[in-house]
Amino acid sequence: MSKRIAVLVFPGTNSEEETLRLLRDCGGDAHLVHWSRAKLLPQFDAYVLPGGFAYEDRIRAGAIAAHDEMMDAVIDGAQAGKLVLGVCNGAQILLEAGLVPGTGTVRRPTAAFTRNGPVPHFICRHVWVKLAIEPKRSPITAGLKDGELIPAWAAHGEGRLAADEAHLAQIERGGHVAFVYAHRDGSVDASAIPNQSALGAAALVNAQGNVLAIMPHPERDGWAFNHPDRRGRAGILEPSGGALFFRSFVMGVNR
Amino acid sequence: MAEVDSLGLALRPDELRKIEEALGRKPSVVELHAFDAQWSEHCSYKSSRHHLKKLPTTGERVVLGPAEDSGILHLGEHRGERYGIVIAHESHNHPSQVVPFEGAATGIGGIVRDVLCMGAEVIAVADPLRFGSIEDGHAHQRYVAQTAVDGISAYGNAIGVPNIAGDVYFDERFDDNCLVNVVAMGIVKESEIIHSYAPKGADGWDMILVGKATDPSGFGGASFSSLTLDAQDEESNKGAVQVPDPFLKNVLMRASYAVFGYLREHNITAGFKDLGAGGIMGCSAEITSAGGYGADIDLDQVNVALEGLAPEVIAVGETQERLIWVVPPDVTPHVLRIYNDEFTLPQIAYNARATVIGKVTAQPRYKLRHRAETVMDVDIEFLTGTIRDELPYEEPQVATSVVDEAPLVTGLQDDELLERVLAHRDVCSREPLYRRYDTVVRGATVIPRGAADAGMLAPVFGSAMGVALSVAGNPRYGRLNARAAGEHAVYEAVRKVVATGAAPIGLTDCLNFGNPRNPAHLGEFVAAIDGLAKAASAFQAPFVSGNVSLYNEAASGKAIPASPIVACVGAIGDVSHAVTSRLKHAGSVLYFVGSPQSALGGSVLIDVLGRHDPRLPRVDYELARAQHALVLEAAQASVLRSARSIGNGGLVVALCEMAFPSLAHGMKPIGVQIDDSWQWTHGAVGRLEALFGEAGGFVVEIAPEDIEAFEGLADDTEGVHEIGVTVEQPVLSFDSEAYDLRRLHHLWSTPLAEVYP
Repeated sequence: MSKRIAVLVFPGTNSEEETLRLLRDCGGDAHLVHWSRAKLLPQFDAYVLPGGFAYEDRIRAGAIAAHDEMMDAVIDGAQAGKLVLGVCNGAQILLEAGLVPGTGTVRRPTAAFTRNGPVPHFICRHVWVKLAIEPKRSPITAGLKDGELIPAWAAHGEGRLAADEAHLAQIERGGHVAFVYAHRDGSVDASAIPNQSALGAAALVNAQGNVLAIMPHPERDGWAFNHPDRRGRAGILEPSGGALFFRSFVMGVNR
Repeated sequence: MAEVDSLGLALRPDELRKIEEALGRKPSVVELHAFDAQWSEHCSYKSSRHHLKKLPTTGERVVLGPAEDSGILHLGEHRGERYGIVIAHESHNHPSQVVPFEGAATGIGGIVRDVLCMGAEVIAVADPLRFGSIEDGHAHQRYVAQTAVDGISAYGNAIGVPNIAGDVYFDERFDDNCLVNVVAMGIVKESEIIHSYAPKGADGWDMILVGKATDPSGFGGASFSSLTLDAQDEESNKGAVQVPDPFLKNVLMRASYAVFGYLREHNITAGFKDLGAGGIMGCSAEITSAGGYGADIDLDQVNVALEGLAPEVIAVGETQERLIWVVPPDVTPHVLRIYNDEFTLPQIAYNARATVIGKVTAQPRYKLRHRAETVMDVDIEFLTGTIRDELPYEEPQVATSVVDEAPLVTGLQDDELLERVLAHRDVCSREPLYRRYDTVVRGATVIPRGAADAGMLAPVFGSAMGVALSVAGNPRYGRLNARAAGEHAVYEAVRKVVATGAAPIGLTDCLNFGNPRNPAHLGEFVAAIDGLAKAASAFQAPFVSGNVSLYNEAASGKAIPASPIVACVGAIGDVSHAVTSRLKHAGSVLYFVGSPQSALGGSVLIDVLGRHDPRLPRVDYELARAQHALVLEAAQASVLRSARSIGNGGLVVALCEMAFPSLAHGMKPIGVQIDDSWQWTHGAVGRLEALFGEAGGFVVEIAPEDIEAFEGLADDTEGVHEIGVTVEQPVLSFDSEAYDLRRLHHLWSTPLAEVYP
């Protein structure tokens, strides 16, 4: 029997439907769980925190949701080795909850996805992200090739990785940068980074490799119809592009 | 009248007399406010309704014409279910001029509710914007232009609805009255449409108010928008603007989807309507009277944000994020449970909830009670249905001065013309602005903002059918000729949809004009409707919803250019055939599908030269229909590598915009080499008219192997010209000169980047 994935809906989440659909199209047994049903969460095998503006992003993106009752099950699950994926706002929540990068001695935020630079505005832009760790470093990326390029959409106002120097060094040394922003040809330079994120980071992973926080949305470029110009031979309704990443996640869950 | 004045009402003396006669007594304060709102132009369309009747509103695709909160067009079938596209179009001009962030944000908020209340899932928004000059010395106009965009972005992004179409113009005639028009689109199974009226047998049913706690914000909003703006009233006007809460709306939308599911599952018919102008009173009166009923509302049951609100504030205040349900009493507990317990509205915003506020009555009276007293008791038909105001108007004077028919001589080199046109405020890249809008949330986007002339979605998961959306309305035309501006608004919106491979199936409009009590301004309004009607009939694209925004005039009497703004919905059976506008390969053949005219009036070229020329291009409908049919057939046959419609700046701008995306990092540059224009115009028009004219048409990119197929399709179509090829060098070359594409791109991409960093 395949493992059950919970897609969490906080008040203010807005990307739950497409996240759910792509997980399902990639073979995942995924279900939405709303905040008033938090009690159901412990029985799930994996957790996906989708994009949006949970609790209106008051204080700082993800800061309040990180303390929501729903996070009890996520934190317990993460510590027990369940796979946890956060996309965009979900990624911000995982950082605020201290699950990622997890460079401290206790669970506590040591880095944040914060206000974009150089201008502090929301941006919506198509991007490519490149796998920056050994695929096997995380069960979530184990289905990808070395240096795999994934298309996605950056759509955030607070996506710039920021931490103090010591923690940034730890993040880099500890192989916590799971994906970096890249050009479509795979080259990496500052102009590929849409938000001045430190280390060019688009995604972070914890030390154990079971919790991954990715800022851009692979699910918004997840089917061939999302990119009619470069669809190749895929049928227009087939999962494609960003689905590569979701497939790898689902494989990791079902393993 | 002293009383009316002191209450700050817009009711006129003759209207007040009419009310007194009908009631047989002096109206109460609550009644005065109620009539003031309900009889405002904003709610009653009293001076515009009879003119709007001239617009075509019927057709095979029309599921619901302009009668309720939104119109509905048939999109297609999937697994035996018919799907409809719900579409609504509105303005939030006055509020955006006064408090741009909140004004623009609540514009999006309001239009989204109009679509939601039809039982639809909201799938897209669009934002046609008209701002004042943003040049030096226009600090406030620049502030409005920047901040209104922030408001739209903040609201739309948070509720998770992609912004897939829009346009923006800057013109000093909008200095005192910006236009923030908003369009929202939804998808609904046609068997599951919920109407904005109390259904059959609704006598005794509950009226449930859902959403934000009522507060004093937006009190007097309807009548405020039906007056001209006076700078001296700025502070008091601010109080008439509503306060947006996209966070609550996000939850409210999802909770409403859950209620739709419940009703569907139990096969229950209900009524659902958005609270807009006139607040609780306007909504509850319209939803009941539209079903032939009356209403009995207890204002003490309304969830309020603070105690001690006057009954007229509770009754007509326009607090945002509220809707009203009409449901059978045994369904009420389930609706309350979904909103209040499952989606925990009371924990999302202070005292937000679903609550029963009254009953539908068989007796056609509208009654409001407050503290056990009846504060309003009127004939509901009299309140909602009778007001009409036939104002005099004048046929607008269209400049017919004799102009030089000789080809235009500019005295400028081509490179300088090109530079000025590409950097023109109406031409330069819109990317800095729309980058702030989420254009891909919901994961259904096929063509995002900027990738083509229209946005496109695949709105039904598991189905390849698509829907396209475009907007249009050129104020440079509006300044010269209201009737032609109406025709061109339709023609341009239709053309933009066609360029993506989608067939136009219907339209919405927002008619933004000056004071209707000025016969010249009303004359422009009437003429524009004439133009819209003519073009819509010719393209067989009916109007299914719309909005009128009059009084866009400063106290000085300075009014905006005639601004009929149109949105077009397109349908495509399979989004595999969607066409974007970026050039795909070097070595393609480029065709111009269209007919240039010796009419540069209203063009960007004329504007950059500082000339005046009233000769607008004519729309040759027969020719345009044939050209549209060709582009659609070619898209269907997959022979279009790319396509772009020709508009602001003409052919050269269209070519540049098709080529620019190839300059992105990691892409192979693709340039354009165009034959001397006389080779394909055969001297019918001058070279500047051919290169910069805005008479319409398309550029299409065809692979060498598809030329035969394309020319076969084009066989009997007039106005199909092979004009050049795409090349590997990053250049734009025409008339034996090659211009550096990278430099042109720089000129085009920087002007708005300074305004929207």
